[in-house]
Amino acid sequence: MEIRQWVVKGLRAGIVTTPYPAAQETASGVSPGIPCAVSQMSESEGARLVEICPTGAIESENGEVHVDLRRCIHCFRCGWESEVHVGWEKTYEWAQFTPTGKSHAWPKGFSKSLHIRVVDAGDCGACLAEVKQLNNPYYNMHRLGFFLTPTPRNADILLVVGPVTDQMRRPLRETFEAMPTPKLVMAVGSCALTGGVFGPSIFSGSGVGNLLPVDVEVPGAPPPPLAILHGLLVAAGRKDPASGTAASLGCVENQAG
Amino acid sequence: MSSLVETASRAEQNWPGQVHGWVDRRKPVSELRCKGLAVLPSVAKWLVSELNYRLAGIIVEELAQEWEVRYLFYLEQQQGWTHIVVRPPLEVKTLPSITSEVHAADWHEREIEDLFGITFEGHPLLGDFILHNDRWQEAMAPMRRAFDPRAALAERKPDLDWRPRTIVEGPGAFAMPVGPIFSGATEAVHFLLETVGEDVIRAYPRLFFKFRGIEKLAEGKSIDSCLLLAERFSATTAFAHAFAFSQAVESICRTRVPSRAQAQRVFLAELERLRHHMGIIHEICESTALAVATSQAAILEEELLRISGTLTGHRYLFGLAIPGGLAKDLPDFACIQAVEGCQRIVDRLLELDQMLRYSSSFLDRIEDVGIISPEKAREFGLVGPIARASGFADDLRKAQPYSGYERISFDVPVEKEGDGFARLRILVAESVQAVRIMARVPAMLEPGKVRETISPQAGVALGWAEAPRGAVFHWLRLGPDGLVSRFRLITPSFVNWHGFHLAAEKFAFQDFPIILATFGLSVAENDR
Amino acid sequence: MLFLVSVFFVLGGLGVAASVLLPERIAPRIILSVGSIASLIVCVVGAKGLVTEASFVATLWTLPTIGTLTLTVDHLSSLFLVVCGIIYLATSVFSVRYLDRYSGRFSLRLFAVVYHLLWASVVVILLAGDAVLFLIGWEAMSILAYLLVNFQTVRDEDTTAGYLMLGMGEAGFLMVAVAFLLLGNHAGGLDFGSLRAAAPNAGMGLRWGVFLLSFFGFAVKAGLFPVNRWMRGVYAVAPASACALLSGVLLNLGIYGIVRVTGDIAPVPSLGPGLILLIVGTISALVGILYANRENDMKTMLAESSTENMGIVVAGFGAGLVFLAAQLPMLAGIALIASLYHMMNHAIYKSLLFYGAGAVDATTGTRDMDRLGGLIKSQPWIAGFFLVGILSISALPPFNGFVSEWLTLQTLLQSAALAPAGVKVVFAVCGAVLALTAALAVTCFVKAYAMSFLGVPRSNGTKQNGHVHRSMRAAMGFLAALCLISGVLPTYIIPVLNRPVSRLIQSNATPTLVPPFFAPNTGSQPLPPAFVAEFHDLGAQVGRSVLPGPGLVVLHRGGATNPVVFAMSTSYMAVVLALLLGVAALVIYGWVARRTKRVRKPVWAGGLRPLLPELTYTATGFSNPVRVTFNAIFHPTEVEDTSETVARHFRMAIRKSFEEVHVLDRLFYRPIETAAERVAGAFAKMHHGRLNAYVAYVLLSLLAVLLLGRYI
Repeated sequence: MEIRQWVVKGLRAGIVTTPYPAAQETASGVSPGIPCAVSQMSESEGARLVEICPTGAIESENGEVHVDLRRCIHCFRCGWESEVHVGWEKTYEWAQFTPTGKSHAWPKGFSKSLHIRVVDAGDCGACLAEVKQLNNPYYNMHRLGFFLTPTPRNADILLVVGPVTDQMRRPLRETFEAMPTPKLVMAVGSCALTGGVFGPSIFSGSGVGNLLPVDVEVPGAPPPPLAILHGLLVAAGRKDPASGTAASLGCVENQAG
Repeated sequence: MSSLVETASRAEQNWPGQVHGWVDRRKPVSELRCKGLAVLPSVAKWLVSELNYRLAGIIVEELAQEWEVRYLFYLEQQQGWTHIVVRPPLEVKTLPSITSEVHAADWHEREIEDLFGITFEGHPLLGDFILHNDRWQEAMAPMRRAFDPRAALAERKPDLDWRPRTIVEGPGAFAMPVGPIFSGATEAVHFLLETVGEDVIRAYPRLFFKFRGIEKLAEGKSIDSCLLLAERFSATTAFAHAFAFSQAVESICRTRVPSRAQAQRVFLAELERLRHHMGIIHEICESTALAVATSQAAILEEELLRISGTLTGHRYLFGLAIPGGLAKDLPDFACIQAVEGCQRIVDRLLELDQMLRYSSSFLDRIEDVGIISPEKAREFGLVGPIARASGFADDLRKAQPYSGYERISFDVPVEKEGDGFARLRILVAESVQAVRIMARVPAMLEPGKVRETISPQAGVALGWAEAPRGAVFHWLRLGPDGLVSRFRLITPSFVNWHGFHLAAEKFAFQDFPIILATFGLSVAENDR
Repeated sequence: MLFLVSVFFVLGGLGVAASVLLPERIAPRIILSVGSIASLIVCVVGAKGLVTEASFVATLWTLPTIGTLTLTVDHLSSLFLVVCGIIYLATSVFSVRYLDRYSGRFSLRLFAVVYHLLWASVVVILLAGDAVLFLIGWEAMSILAYLLVNFQTVRDEDTTAGYLMLGMGEAGFLMVAVAFLLLGNHAGGLDFGSLRAAAPNAGMGLRWGVFLLSFFGFAVKAGLFPVNRWMRGVYAVAPASACALLSGVLLNLGIYGIVRVTGDIAPVPSLGPGLILLIVGTISALVGILYANRENDMKTMLAESSTENMGIVVAGFGAGLVFLAAQLPMLAGIALIASLYHMMNHAIYKSLLFYGAGAVDATTGTRDMDRLGGLIKSQPWIAGFFLVGILSISALPPFNGFVSEWLTLQTLLQSAALAPAGVKVVFAVCGAVLALTAALAVTCFVKAYAMSFLGVPRSNGTKQNGHVHRSMRAAMGFLAALCLISGVLPTYIIPVLNRPVSRLIQSNATPTLVPPFFAPNTGSQPLPPAFVAEFHDLGAQVGRSVLPGPGLVVLHRGGATNPVVFAMSTSYMAVVLALLLGVAALVIYGWVARRTKRVRKPVWAGGLRPLLPELTYTATGFSNPVRVTFNAIFHPTEVEDTSETVARHFRMAIRKSFEEVHVLDRLFYRPIETAAERVAGAFAKMHHGRLNAYVAYVLLSLLAVLLLGRYI
């Protein structure tokens, strides 16, 4: 009786898996989105935005406003500033290779099934929670061949979240050393890329790149599960990374939402 | 209010000449200022044992000429705070420990010793707490104003012979190390499980691998930067922390938050509570390896995240609570839609809960496992759903109401058994209450603005909130330039991790991950 | 043959003389040379007796009113001669260097003298043709074993252990002597021939009495529950070579006694004795392996495991007796072959394991598994040979333990052929319990191997650079090779074992176990062609042109509806295993390793470095689940469960310790002790010191004797 009720429950709940990566996900609430620049912005508006952004993610040059996604912590101060009209795009494909990662030779035949060792190097909890959502029926990364593994010996990808606090430096380094080649390091979240609001300080670093050779970066605070999924697919070579340089993302003119 | 005055006067009577009571009726707070240090433990013991106060935390500030050491106490059923304050000169480095009378002070004193270098006489286990001895030398005191990070780095002398402290003696006793990197995707914490083979005799968690020094980073920052720190250090309950911080700032700057903002703050806090509890239920099902229940709970959690994202733009409610109100006004219809969505989710949660109660394999793993008795919960000063599962009916929304909670009627569920099943029942019951509160808010929304400008001024205040994990306290002191001079964070995870070992001991190894899951603690919130 | 035997005895005398006269430091060499030659001679004698029909009868002296002492050999004694000879040979080689650690502290001269005399007495027991010589040899063996074992006693409890062995041995001896005398009284003579002839005419009461007395008397020597109380203390203190002799030779003498009296001389035509043997054997096996799981000292663990294996041997033998009494000689033959096979295998692998324990003790100075670890790196050869012993005793194919234990369990499964339902139930239950002991044995020996050889050294004090001499490794290697051979070639050993068994069951059991797949149409019982074809399809004829003998498959045929009751072939298994391992090794080392780069990294411990030894599993922890599951048998009482607290809340130390009283003591010996003390206490009341009462006692006893004399 007990087993049967669970089977019925599971069958009745149906399939809720996202169509991504075959098609784009259109449900709302799956991504916090990114600020995208309206192509022509006055110098004062640009200066205002640069002033507002607490991490210096917004840079302005001749009215052309660039957003360095690696620094964006999704505080929305630029979006809710009433004087400046900032576009907002609900995308989630943000992952990119680092310059060293681009030339990373990933053996053929490795892309079908990858095992991931997740290391929490001081993360606030949100990035780790989003990584954990990857196993839920909505995103279900198992269908794409990604698995979490408890031992670095079986791992192909080292997924690091957090700015790398001082007391996690050695365990993180140990994990990286314990993984056999070929291996990939993926830094997820703005803290892991640039240290977020916590670093650099004596106790907290400014990103994984200072300790390990990072290959794939997924910006966001936190990057939603779809962004992390895109990052994994980029790492596996099954999806293209976000186009454009890391520093700027041109986007379709869009009203703030 | 009258009890505060009474407390102050009785204290002056009991220790004439040594304790001076002072009441601030506005807040309301009563301060028991102790002239000498020796009387400190007895006053603390008197408050806790005879008057049934509970300790919220200890705050140490390095002022110009002296220390200010403030012990925060409050009553569960009455508004108001009683602080014990001592002001020894800066040369004094030793204070008497109150741990043997008020055991809830244990970890607070250890933290102060590590970060400020003040020794607590009578505390047997100081050292190697926040700053691990295999990374940093003793006596670093990074929270002192004169701390020089460069010098500390240059003189860095880790203890290379560091060994974990094992206390179980007996034939064949050994210790199983777990972590700091273990399982699939868990936070970084190290457990030392001492055993003779089957049962865990002692479970000691070694935390603070994720220590980022938030309190030190906050010094000298503007209110807005400090808000970011307060919101982001533990992002799974980001809104509750931003909420408490904003209330502290509003209290200092004497800002009156618009009623629409107050109601929406309550709404969002309860939404966060609902989503957080769903996440814990998901983890409990996952730890017991009941696959279908795990998937169903995960579906509900993701739906709540999407509702949060649709309503506010961010799945974890970042960037909403700011001093003065809310950064963004939520339209009424959106709130009503969100309530309807949450109501449907809670209905499915109740269905799931009913099925779980009939799965004997699930109950076997959760019932009578990881028990914390009410006496221990009180002794260790536990907070939140864990304390409520052990019969400790303590909720800041009722005890020290804020932001309009006093106008909303809701229940605070309490259970007595203190085992994993009781904690699960509390989580489900609180989720039901959370939706009940959310349902009342749209009717309370008056048209108007949601944001009041604040004018920073010097002052000191305590802001608090009942976060999903328990009582959270933000103590803030602003300098004359409006910048932060001291920011103290007392988090529910810090208090509850202290009591975690009570639940994990005397149970088998296989029960350990389940007990860990039923606690639902956050390491990031503890480590700061 | 008689010539060889006399040469053996002469050699023994020479060995004793040389040990006494030559300097002490040569004593181990004497053991090696004389002992190994003597063992070889015995092996040849035994082999001849087993394989050919050669026999002899030699009469020695005639004692008045007791009878003539004769030496004779038949198949049964030949088998035991071969087994004991092998063990003695290996021990002689092992001891020459192992005893170096005792030189200077204890008298090697004494050891050598006792060694040679003990071997002589064992051969006397095995060759005895009449009860008197048997008993003389038995007594000599008991005393010499005590001397051998008490060789290096320093502490009081070790000497008590030796006394206990001697005392219980004497009690057993008395029971056996009474049994022989009872039967001899009925038969009118004490030689085995007349005893054998007179037994069928004796009444059932006498036959049962002889069986019970002799069984429990020999059970003391064989180490069965509940009379194996002496084993624990003795094994802990004896040197490793003496332990190997204890397990490999002396315990087998108990089995020899049981088989000789209950199987050959005075069998009882009833289901009872077989069932008693089966039940006692099963209980011994279970209790033995449970306590082996709890032991952290390698030698006592192996001692408890010897109880388990002897239990299996006796259980198999009992099943065989039941089948015999139920007129099923073929099944009885299988059971008896399995039992004797297990006896032989146990001797080999137990000695191997004891040598390993001795080598470990010699190199690290400790036998406590809670403090060992990581020896596989410093002692790879010892680790390898020990592993062969572990695999054999855990009954894993293709080693010898698998064959004998598998055959024993298979015979217990044949209970369907028996008629009475109660007997079937007993068989089923005993079969289940023996399967449980097999599983517990795997647990126990995995722990033994892993805790001693794998992992990290758990205590810094064990010096791990001791040198193990070639001779010790050679002895271990020889026995390891025997383990493999007797596991891989069971179809050659079964016909050899069949010879003593066929005498006991009065028919030929080989064809029921080893069908002649190599020559299916010849011989007395040709196989049906369809059957042969099916097995030839499976490959049962592979090796036909190369190897002699009937075949390589052990198979028991049933009737038309059940053509194959059980079948296996460790020979083919070994070939397939070797092929698989070879192919895998080729692929990995020849191809994969060339294309990848191998790097050595430290062990992964969750990011916590270094992994300290105190953070790894201890032997006690590993076996704790067994203790918790079988709590009713172990019945630990908590001695200490305290925690030292400071400042009311801070625990500084938690102390937990248990006391466990062995189930034997709890159920048997402690109650007997208390009862005896109470009786003695009651009698002590007579000693109150009053002279008048004592005089009265004398008067009363005088009166009683007079009255007795009057009426008898």
